[in-house]
Amino acid sequence: MSNDIERELRAALRPVDPGERFAERVLARIAHDPTHSTRAPRLRRPAAASYRWWGAGLAAMVVLAVVAVHDIHVRRMEQGIEARRQLLEALRLTNEKLDIAYRAINANDRHATAQKSGA
Amino acid sequence: MNAFKRTSIVVLLAATLLLVTSSVVAAPGALTVPSFDALAKRATDSVNITLDSSILGLAAGFLDPSSPEDAAARDVISGLKGIYVRSYTFADDFAYPEAEVDMIRKQLSAPGWQRLVQVRNSKDHGNVDIYISTDQGRANGLAIIASEPREFTIVNIVGSIDLQKLHRIEGKFGIPNLSPTVTK
Repeated sequence: MSNDIERELRAALRPVDPGERFAERVLARIAHDPTHSTRAPRLRRPAAASYRWWGAGLAAMVVLAVVAVHDIHVRRMEQGIEARRQLLEALRLTNEKLDIAYRAINANDRHATAQKSGA
Repeated sequence: MNAFKRTSIVVLLAATLLLVTSSVVAAPGALTVPSFDALAKRATDSVNITLDSSILGLAAGFLDPSSPEDAAARDVISGLKGIYVRSYTFADDFAYPEAEVDMIRKQLSAPGWQRLVQVRNSKDHGNVDIYISTDQGRANGLAIIASEPREFTIVNIVGSIDLQKLHRIEGKFGIPNLSPTVTK
């Protein structure tokens, strides 16, 4: 009984020659099979790579923000220095004109005093 | 529908008028100083300074408190709303049109303004007029018109002007002792 089973198994599993052009036929069948896709299977991007992109984006945004803040600060400084220069120039010009008036008033006062003392 | 349209137009016009009026009406003590573009083109040297309250605030932040000049400037500008200076120097005598100067003088004949000092120097043709604008006894504007044969300057300082402060900074900017009692 056991010898029969063994013999049947051997017969079933015996090496059989696939014949000529077996590989070509298999490939041709695969090519014509509509359910088969020749595209490579889509792989899911690993989570670590995605986080890396997010990190790089965030870092770029931080760098841009720092540059923008620095630029605003520099511009503000330049405006402030220019405003100070203009203020001092305005006060200098104001003073110059007030001084003319002051000297004229003083000269008049001296003249009036001299006239009084002469009289 | 017509009534709605008419009302809308009236409201729009009123809003526009209000906007225009508010921008045209100057603050007390402020003069409408022309741009003097034509003068600037002919001048060999021109100074055009417009410091409104925000720029004055910005400038104040950059004044060095350890410098006497800067400290004096800070003291003077506290309470000011604006400083406007136009100054032109020319290569020839009387190259500026008198009409421009008269336009400014006309504004200074308005109520509220009074002439503090008038200097007429026949020798060097140097004229200086100092006007002050007051409201309820408080100075809120100062105007200086100075003209020489080759120079023309207008200064308008707007805001609460304390002549005592001007007196205190004497010697720093060379500002003289200008007592409020000195009139003409």
